[in-house]
Amino acid sequence: MTSATQQQSDVWERQDLLTGCQAVAEGVRLADVDVIPAYPIRPYTEVMDTISKIIADGRLDAEYMIADSEHSQFEIAKHASAVNARAFTGSSGTGWCYGFEALVVTATDRLPVLFLVGNRALDDPGAFGVEHNDAMSVRDMGFLLNWVTSPQEALEHVLIGYRIAEDSEVRMPMALAMDGAFLTHSQHIVQIPTIESVRRFLPDYDLGDRRLHPDNPISIAPQVNEDWVMEMRRQNWGAARRAREVIVKAYEEFNAVYGPRYQPPYYFTEYMTDDADVVLVGLGTVAAPGRTAVRRLREQGHKVGYVNLRWFRPFPTVELRECLSRFKAVGVIDRDFAHGSPDDGGILLHEIRSCLYPAKNRPAVVNFLSGLGGRDISIQDCEKMFDLTEKAARDETMDGYVTWIGVRAGAGSSNYLAAPAH
Amino acid sequence: MIKRVEINYRGIFQKTLAKRIGSDLVLIAARMGQVAFSNGRYSDSPERNGIPCKYFTFISPDLEEEELEAECGAKMDIDEANISVVLDDTMVKGVEPWGWSGIRPINEKMIEGGAMLVVTRHSAQDLLKFIPARPFSYNLVTLEGDASLAGLWVFKDDLTHERVLGAIAGIDPSIVSIDAVEAHLRAKTKDERRVAAAREAHDAARSHTRVVKSGEGADWHHEVPKLPGWDHFREGTVVPAVPRHFEMGPRGQSRNPTFKRGTTKTQRPVVRFDLCTKCTLCWVECPDQCFDPTDDGYYDIDYEYCVGCGKCAEVCPVEECIIMADELVFDNYDSPWEHWKRDADDYLSWTADKKGNERVSYPFVTGTGRLVTAMDSVPGVGEIKPRKETPQPV
Repeated sequence: MTSATQQQSDVWERQDLLTGCQAVAEGVRLADVDVIPAYPIRPYTEVMDTISKIIADGRLDAEYMIADSEHSQFEIAKHASAVNARAFTGSSGTGWCYGFEALVVTATDRLPVLFLVGNRALDDPGAFGVEHNDAMSVRDMGFLLNWVTSPQEALEHVLIGYRIAEDSEVRMPMALAMDGAFLTHSQHIVQIPTIESVRRFLPDYDLGDRRLHPDNPISIAPQVNEDWVMEMRRQNWGAARRAREVIVKAYEEFNAVYGPRYQPPYYFTEYMTDDADVVLVGLGTVAAPGRTAVRRLREQGHKVGYVNLRWFRPFPTVELRECLSRFKAVGVIDRDFAHGSPDDGGILLHEIRSCLYPAKNRPAVVNFLSGLGGRDISIQDCEKMFDLTEKAARDETMDGYVTWIGVRAGAGSSNYLAAPAH
Repeated sequence: MIKRVEINYRGIFQKTLAKRIGSDLVLIAARMGQVAFSNGRYSDSPERNGIPCKYFTFISPDLEEEELEAECGAKMDIDEANISVVLDDTMVKGVEPWGWSGIRPINEKMIEGGAMLVVTRHSAQDLLKFIPARPFSYNLVTLEGDASLAGLWVFKDDLTHERVLGAIAGIDPSIVSIDAVEAHLRAKTKDERRVAAAREAHDAARSHTRVVKSGEGADWHHEVPKLPGWDHFREGTVVPAVPRHFEMGPRGQSRNPTFKRGTTKTQRPVVRFDLCTKCTLCWVECPDQCFDPTDDGYYDIDYEYCVGCGKCAEVCPVEECIIMADELVFDNYDSPWEHWKRDADDYLSWTADKKGNERVSYPFVTGTGRLVTAMDSVPGVGEIKPRKETPQPV
């Protein structure tokens, strides 16, 4: 115990007040990233502002390039990664989509670039607020995809992310997603690790015999027509499956250096679920009002809990099935939409219902479309979701039921920013 | 328990200042063992010059960080404010943020017994001519000083930052104590001048606190916009156009009634129509099309839409014809041309009164470059002279 405490106090250099974006920038510095192509779009932009300052201050030696669009930005990162340079980049909303072609090939070529996605609603209409559809667009392409809920977790997941993405068993790009505004722009006190501790945890990036270099003559991604594509898809399918084990290993190694900061099964965290009848499941910062609602409802005798899903790709199918099949009903919060989908609900709903299909005890699953375009999800909203999920636990006909939470209806409802009476 | 501080600031010119105050409040509160975090109002677009924006800090002595985050962080606006800081006193007239939500009272989020801290050279009594009445009592604290307006993205570093921190400690030591403020500034800057500025403001805040009684203040006539539900507007991301029309004379051009932007200004242009040569430059150059041509060849100003950018005063070639004056000395958006037509003598004395005889210029982009020059003489009626160069620092 003494040695563990000793070890922990050695690994932290200082604390600072950082936004989610700034915390990621500190992570990029600590990971000693080599190439950083930038192109601005709110809300992810501040990470690039901060990195440019870190470089100007002499705290990081890296190639910082300003691209002419997201498409070029992602292409630069991909090519840098191919020559064995650790690359970081990112975007938000429609910017992310504008570079989509380059994202897909980065995954196909299995290059472990780390992307920050500051979640933003897709235009039209123009809006800056959080919605998860931007990051979700790469979910089937061979990306690692996860959500963080605090600046501290964001910083640590830059390090954990490179550890997983660059593993020789994996070598996949990673999209580190964080809610626009509520995390990208919120300042919290963050513990910053020492660079020595990071070196102990994160090995150098080594692409091995796939490194593009004159001494290692190879060609990446030639035209193959129909002869090779399916076999390449099969390889990438295998990498995505293998990533699950590497994720667990990475957290174990992280805990070994920094103390027990993450608990198994790592892919998600459970809050007050031990004796729970119903739980809510969500991605990202909705965990804060969700868990606060749990505490309040528990005081009134409700057996409720919250599951915060940290990893979306690869999906923790077995672990999440085991977890969720313990409950009578599960309320899935989607900060995204999937119009015309099987249940006319959100993306997460379908993933979770699919994951539960082989379960012996299948809970009722209900869905909440909430917080779209940056609409806030309050503690009261979460209490309402728990209420509806408890109702589903009592009524079998509600399985698959979708409810819009916080949407304005009627002719002239007051703005949700309404002023008090004067 | 949660203490909420909102910092009202002018987009871009005070963005760095507001963020530094908000950030330092977190660090000082943490020094006192409290949990705190801060963020800006996300729907703001503080890159727009002068646009009213807000920065928030949330502090709790007893909540977990996550609970504080759930109560305050995961939402687009502050619920209520224990302290509302106003970094530019002209915002007391109301604030229309960039996110579409109408012109709002500056003390909209104020709670009973809370405090509004205004950086100003006006008296509390003057400010209350504009601050709307509330059905409860609160404190109005004035901190003597000019609105610290820096150049684009620049931090002016004129001690407003330290003085506001000190004043907040003077208002509510449970948010930050003056000892913690001083310790923080000393540790961070090693500059006793900054520590002294905070201490002075702490003492001054206590002696410049005016209790505002329930019902005391101005009438408020701006309505909060009502937004339709999903089932009450057109599909396909369609919004109706602003009806188009044009006629000669005051307010003759169609303008957007739902986003006026008039609360963006700290100064407004005052026009001497008797000196106007009808050169058209103000009308042509105004970035917001605030000038309405009149049928006698002049250009009236729609002050409700003027953002106070100063472009018209910059391009006007005639000495003293268009001068920017403190927005807080005006109490309406009436047409100046109509006033002049109604009673030219009264209008001219009105302009002289509003403009005063000091002319302020900002010859430096950064730093404290505020230059005040006394006007030599008021031009007589129709006494047209070419404008002098902007005074340069010696």
